[in-house]
Amino acid sequence: MNLEEKVLAIFQANTEDKTGVTLTSDLRRELRLDSFGILMIINAIEDAFGIAVEDVDFTGANTVADVVALLHSKYHCH
Amino acid sequence: MQPLEFYRTLQIDKSPINAHSFNPYYRPLPGLDRGQLRIEGETYYDLASNDYLGLASDERIREAMISALREYGSSMCGTPIATGYARILAQLERELARFVGLDAALVFPSCYQANVALFPAIATVRDVIIVDHHAHASLAQGIKAVGCKVKPFLHNDLEHLERQLAASAAFRQSFVVTESVFSTEGSVAPLDGLVELCRRYQAVPVVDDSHGLGVLGKSGRGILEEKAISDYQGIYTASLGKALAQVGGMIAGNHALIDALRYSCPGLIYSTALPPVCGGGLLRAIDILKQEYGRLATVLWNNHRRLLDKLRSRGFDLRSGPAPIAAIHGGSPEHTIALAKDFFQQRLLTTSFVPPSVPQGRGVLRLIVGAKLDGAAMQDVLEALDRITVGPRP
Repeated sequence: MNLEEKVLAIFQANTEDKTGVTLTSDLRRELRLDSFGILMIINAIEDAFGIAVEDVDFTGANTVADVVALLHSKYHCH
Repeated sequence: MQPLEFYRTLQIDKSPINAHSFNPYYRPLPGLDRGQLRIEGETYYDLASNDYLGLASDERIREAMISALREYGSSMCGTPIATGYARILAQLERELARFVGLDAALVFPSCYQANVALFPAIATVRDVIIVDHHAHASLAQGIKAVGCKVKPFLHNDLEHLERQLAASAAFRQSFVVTESVFSTEGSVAPLDGLVELCRRYQAVPVVDDSHGLGVLGKSGRGILEEKAISDYQGIYTASLGKALAQVGGMIAGNHALIDALRYSCPGLIYSTALPPVCGGGLLRAIDILKQEYGRLATVLWNNHRRLLDKLRSRGFDLRSGPAPIAAIHGGSPEHTIALAKDFFQQRLLTTSFVPPSVPQGRGVLRLIVGAKLDGAAMQDVLEALDRITVGPRP
């Protein structure tokens, strides 16, 4: 499973609306993630990759693809 | 930043309200009288308040409050730990604890205050708080104030909760926080399963039963009775301003918890106590529930079923759970406000939920009919619903 697939799986397992999550999904407008929703994703990423994510990093992430890019560039996840 | 510039940053987006020249919020209202109120000479029906049992205008409660007012005056003008602990409040705490089936209780000026005050008083930064994604703002505020690890779990999803619990062994103590009834749509927590998971993982359950107390259970004693949970070793909070038709909040649990909070919870001991007059009303409300809950519940559920049948037959987008709350999905916030205006024009008061109370881009119109309306009033409400146009709500 590559990084994109891993992140998509995390989003699908940690959002109430499990359908229609794609790399271009907007976190707030389409997936309707509020602060607890974002926190749920961050916690799942931390558990899956064994890293500590700074919450503030997510403020600049608008789409699932942005999260993938963040994990790759800043946290060196694969 | 200049102060004026700072204040401009506080500006609220009121476009959904402005678009329809209708503001459903902060409307000054006259008193409620068995689910009815008079506005500019017209009779309106209250489908908005949390007066589930119609006790807000019960003459017996009014008399009990007048009696307490005569005995204690308007206020004890002190915190509970000093002069605020009127005898009638001590009696109320015992009665509330007995009513919900727990060892002891504390009374707060509101449940919001109780929830905000609870977590910083019991949890530390070495703990983890696992909380239902849709938990009330007061619980979220209290939890965030601790500064510990917070793990939301998917709404009412026990599998997702267990995954969080299983990954939390390294923390000093785990807490699992939920509501009994989620008040926007009336979903009910699987509290029996949640409590069992807590037992298995040595976590402390915390449930806010604000919309369950006086509503759920065969005698109205709330979620613990509804789910037949005996020997509950968790923490219980509830509003006293909904079915019990008063104001205030409570925290209940075992003696060790309550005794600790009584002497160490800043949100309790540094806040002026609930006025004794409220204690008089609440004690009478509990008496009425003990004697008449069966009759009141029959009216409540009959009214609720008739309301749901009518809303469904009219084609409203209904997403209601098992609690006596009807939730109409209004589409966008703008359309939800427009729908609230339609209801208001038919003299029906409703509650409009728009973000941040619901997810971005959505809106919910909530209706609680309760036991407060008699047969004729209920018929008026159903006929009014026939006059509302049900259109597409994107």
